Amino acid sequence: MEIIDLSTLPGTEARYTEFLKRVCDKFEMDHAAYAGMNPSEGKVAGHVTYNDDWKEHYQKHDLVMIDPTLHMAKRSIAPVDWSRLERSQNFQRVFRDAHDFGLPSQGVTIPVRGPYGDIGFLSVTRDCPKEEWRKLYTHVISDLQSMAVHIHDNVITSDEFAGALYHPNLSTREAEILQWVAAGKSQQDIGDILSISHRTVEVHLRSSREKLCALTTPQAVGRAIAVGLIGTG
Amino acid sequence: MIIVVDGLNRHLFSEVLDEMFELRARVFGERLGWDVTIEDGKEIDEFDHLDPTYVIGFDDRGNVVAAVRALQTTGPHMLADVFSAILDGEPPIRSATMWESTRFCVDTQRLTRGKGENSLSYATCELMIGSLEYAINAGVQDIITVIDPVMDRVLRRSNCAPYDYVGKTVPMGKVSALAALVDCTEERIASLREFADIQDSVFLEEEEALALFNSKKLVEPSVANRDHKPLTQLEKYFVEQMNAAKTENERQDVLRLIETLSDKFTPEQKTALLGTPRAFAHEA
Repeated sequence: MEIIDLSTLPGTEARYTEFLKRVCDKFEMDHAAYAGMNPSEGKVAGHVTYNDDWKEHYQKHDLVMIDPTLHMAKRSIAPVDWSRLERSQNFQRVFRDAHDFGLPSQGVTIPVRGPYGDIGFLSVTRDCPKEEWRKLYTHVISDLQSMAVHIHDNVITSDEFAGALYHPNLSTREAEILQWVAAGKSQQDIGDILSISHRTVEVHLRSSREKLCALTTPQAVGRAIAVGLIGTG
Repeated sequence: MIIVVDGLNRHLFSEVLDEMFELRARVFGERLGWDVTIEDGKEIDEFDHLDPTYVIGFDDRGNVVAAVRALQTTGPHMLADVFSAILDGEPPIRSATMWESTRFCVDTQRLTRGKGENSLSYATCELMIGSLEYAINAGVQDIITVIDPVMDRVLRRSNCAPYDYVGKTVPMGKVSALAALVDCTEERIASLREFADIQDSVFLEEEEALALFNSKKLVEPSVANRDHKPLTQLEKYFVEQMNAAKTENERQDVLRLIETLSDKFTPEQKTALLGTPRAFAHEA
C-alpha cells in the first residue's frame, strides 16, 4: 500500500489513523502513533494505530503526563531511540503497562518542532531482534522524518488559527524552481539553467514540498498553482 | 574526540558546556567581533535555551577545542531570525531532513598548525565527521551552516568543500558571514577521514568524555591554591601536620587521613594538599 498525501484523504480524523497504518505497512513497523501539541489550543492531539484497550488505559491513567517517549524527545532535535530511555522510572512505569497490553518496547520517537512553538511526535515500534531493528532504523529513518513533518503540518494546519499562520512562504528561488518543474524541466536541467548544483535544486524542492504540505513534487506544483504562488507553466 | 550533548544528557555536561560557551565568547565576541551577548565570560543566546544539540570536540588533554550547535530547520532557528540578512529577506529553507548548524568554532589559540592531533585541521575534521555521522544517524541529509570566510576556507582545504551556498555574504563584525550547504553522505565522511587520517570512531561514551574532561583538573600544575583564597581550618591543619611529619610513616599517615576526608575538599584542594608542603610553602 502506497503512502498517500494526507490532504487527499477525506477530511475526517480517521484519515490520520489511516495514514499511520500506511506508514506501518510501508516501513515495516508494528505500530505508529502521532502526538501533537499546539500552543494556540493548549492541548495534545493524538492519533494511534494501537488497540482501543491500550488507548483507554493510556487516557485513564493520564500516561501522557509522564510518557518519556514524548517528554524526552521534546528535548532532542534528533529521533530518540527508546533504548536511550530505559533507565528512567517513568519509562519503567509506562513500558511495564504497555508490555501488559502486548506492546513492544522497541521503537523510536521523532520530534518535529514547528515555527510557532508547536511540537509533534511520530513514534513507531517494531518487535524484532536488536540487530534487525538497527538495520531497519538506518534504512527508513530519513523517510520517517519526512512522514513526521507531513502528519504534524497537516494536523496543525487543520486548526483554523494555526493554519492561517502556516501559509506557504516560498522563497524566490523555490518558486522559480517549481515554475521550471511546472514547465516540464528535469532537476538536472533546472540546475544547469540556474547554475546551481543539482543537490541544491533537490534541497529547494524538498523545502517547497514541506511548505506546501505535499509529499510529492507534482502535488506541490499543483498546490502552488492553486494558491497563485506560480503560474500554470 | 567528540561528545554529543543534547537536552537529554546536558545535566551531565554543564561544566563542558560552560567551557564551550567560554570558547564561543573568545571566538565570536573577541576574534570575529560579532554582535553577541557575553555574560560572565560566556557567549549564550536565546537559541541555546531551545534544547539544541551540541557536537563538542576535546583535545587529548580534555580541553574543549571545537564546537558546533544544531537546530531543526522546521522550527525556530537562526537563519529564520537573526541571520535573515544573509537570505536577503527571503524565507529560509524548511526541511525535515535539513538541520542548521551555527556557532561553528575551533580554538585557534590552543590548537597548533600542521595536521597532527591537537592541530586546527585535525580538530575541524574530527568535528565535521562527528556532526555528519550524528546527522546521518538521525536521517538528516543536508546541513546548512552559517560560517565566516576563514572557516569556509578551512573546510575547502580539508576535503570538505560545501556543495553550494545560499543567499549572500554579509558583513558581520570584523569579518563576514555566509550560509553554506553540506551534504551528509558517507562519501564526504570518507574524504574527511582520509584527509585527517582518522580511522576509528570519533565518539566518546558519556563516561569517557567526563573522565577526559575532568582529568585535566588533576594535572594542571598551577592548580595548587590558584585563587590564593585563605586556607580553611582543615587545610591549615593538614599543612601543619605535613610540615611536622618527620618520618615517611608519619607522612603516609597524614596522606591517608586526607584521603579519608576526601569529601571535605574539592578535587583541586585535595590535589594541592597531597602536594604539600611544596604547594603551600608560602601560604602556611
